[in-house]
Amino acid sequence: MEQVSMEATNPNPSSMSGVADASAAELLCCANARALLDSVDAFLFDCDGVIWKGDKLIDGVPQTLDMLRSKGKKLVFVTNNSTKSRIQYANKFQSLGLSVNQYEIFSSSFAAAMYLKVNQFPPHKKVYVIGGEGIVQELQLAGFTALGGPEDAEKRAQWKSNCLFEHDKYVGAVVVGLDPDINYYKLQYATLCIRENPGCLFIATNRDSVGHMTDLQEWPGAGCMVAAVCGSTEQEPIVVGKPSTFMMDFLLQKFNVSTSRMCIVGDRLDTDILFGQNAGCKTLLVLSGVTTQSTLDDPSNSIKPDYYTNKVSDILSLLGE
Amino acid sequence: MATKAAVSVSVAASVTAASSSSSKFVINTPHRFLCLKRLSSFSSFSASALAIKCTSISNCSPNKSARSMEGFTTRTKASAQPLENADELIASVETFIFDCDGVIWKGDKLIDGVPETLDMLRSKGKRLVFVTNNSTKSRKQYGKKFETLGLNVNEEEIFASSFAAAAYLKSINFPKDKKVYVIGEDGILKELELAGFQYLGGPEDGGKKIELKPGFLMEHDKDVGAVVVGFDRYFNYYKVQYGTLCIRENPGCLFIATNRDAVTHLTDAQEWAGGGSMVGAICGSTQREPLVVGKPSTFMMDYLANKFGILKSQICMVGDRLDTDILFGQNGGCKTLLVLSGVTNLSMLQSPSNSIQPDFYTNKISDFLSIKTATV
Repeated sequence: MEQVSMEATNPNPSSMSGVADASAAELLCCANARALLDSVDAFLFDCDGVIWKGDKLIDGVPQTLDMLRSKGKKLVFVTNNSTKSRIQYANKFQSLGLSVNQYEIFSSSFAAAMYLKVNQFPPHKKVYVIGGEGIVQELQLAGFTALGGPEDAEKRAQWKSNCLFEHDKYVGAVVVGLDPDINYYKLQYATLCIRENPGCLFIATNRDSVGHMTDLQEWPGAGCMVAAVCGSTEQEPIVVGKPSTFMMDFLLQKFNVSTSRMCIVGDRLDTDILFGQNAGCKTLLVLSGVTTQSTLDDPSNSIKPDYYTNKVSDILSLLGE
Repeated sequence: MATKAAVSVSVAASVTAASSSSSKFVINTPHRFLCLKRLSSFSSFSASALAIKCTSISNCSPNKSARSMEGFTTRTKASAQPLENADELIASVETFIFDCDGVIWKGDKLIDGVPETLDMLRSKGKRLVFVTNNSTKSRKQYGKKFETLGLNVNEEEIFASSFAAAAYLKSINFPKDKKVYVIGEDGILKELELAGFQYLGGPEDGGKKIELKPGFLMEHDKDVGAVVVGFDRYFNYYKVQYGTLCIRENPGCLFIATNRDAVTHLTDAQEWAGGGSMVGAICGSTQREPLVVGKPSTFMMDYLANKFGILKSQICMVGDRLDTDILFGQNGGCKTLLVLSGVTNLSMLQSPSNSIQPDFYTNKISDFLSIKTATV
């Protein structure tokens, strides 16, 4: 079944790969905030730059989420950050004082495992992972055999003649996500699998160029590791995270809500907002993460959210609650 | 910087949009090098625009890519001819440019008949030049490799992409008070040093670790004016972040790639992820395209044509890779000879999805000596 939109290179604020909304974004105010709330049954929140920055909660988030729940709105969290599994994310939410369970979380690590599941990835095949524990855990939960991941962080290649770099011929898919332990060994392993194992899939959890892995600055995202593997294999990956709408099918199964009654809240134009537009949702950009007002307003940007505001808690303060 | 950012964004967008575009062209700039663009519509850069971005080069090997394969040549080429009259080819040119990996040697093993072939060409008064995308060694270090293999080649005849990066910075008068951050190996560092530039990074940063925790800030030198990226076996997140910060935050910072080869024959037994991987990583985090100094960019061709005062029509480029060596030769207006002793085999050359056709092909360079008995 056609679940996945094939992603081209460089999701980029000026890319036209989604439904490009040419009208200007509206600044959120009392009137339109009320109208938004009335027209939406479910809010889909991105996490990095929206709910938290690194390990620091953004001001006013808990109260805003409580208010939305009290009004009967469904809340779901859709994150491209593949370093944690859904269960690990639920633990992170708990530690920040937010009551969110794993079934309300859709991480790109979960998306990768689900992609293999819905496409009937054979159980005797293995998956090589360039990424963190989150991807490995979700693969294992889904019943797949994962190789690589954090385990390969300290491995080094040898280059002596008569010394062959071996790779497992049963690897049928390579999943690439954010990996702060990226090294040449992993790149070479993944490259050999993709180039030499017939039919080997190349799956990217996401292609975000940078993200707020810590509160103080941006760091290279999965887009970096994915592009490294594109560079050595000359292949484009199947992208399961935003802006691909693969995850939307799972979200629709969870709620009986049409996408036009959903609102995406995110900080990134070329993933969050494009995801929302591609799926036919309303879109609200927050400026508490990677996107600034000037990036939004820049003439080279063609992705316009329906609304924008400084941060999530503006919803609360604008409604005077 | 805003102009460059806008250009790089439009290049990236065009690459995104034009994955099956068939319009490609070569631009002649007032500067000393030609650069390839994969834009379907493009007007011009100002004469002072030094950061002309070269986009990724697709490998023309069939069976390897999920996306459509594209060649970069602007000419509609007839199919490559098997080399039958070696003497005629030799007589028609004044200079031979040889790639190294897969042409002269494979890993550390010399390919059969190479010394005698080079001697024969020299005895006929031909100039020999060696152009390699491999940036791990400096020209001097390559000179030593040639010597160990018993070949009579001096470092002035060698042009590695490590040298090309330093030569490029020299050609644009890169200020000596600015620094260069290197994601790459020793060869690049040595060439930068020889050219009088200050550098940071290199293999030493391969041991640096990151801890992504609250309150941690990675600092970077604001005087870095260029990031040079090439093949790097000590590649890690620290270097990616450092390079990314420099490119994104230091005004006017250049992003230079030694080359974008997808794979390389580090050992003769198998392929290894190449410079294209490290360069891809930085493209991914910066969303910028680099300026490529190695093949198939003609920077090195222009440099040596200028240095030796030779006409490009008097050159024959000999290489084993279609999308770097042969394209390099074609972009430069030279004759081209593909050898099948390296990464390309006959079926790859003749595949319908390959659009890069050299003038001639043959098994290996020693066929120059024995062409009447060579069979392909």
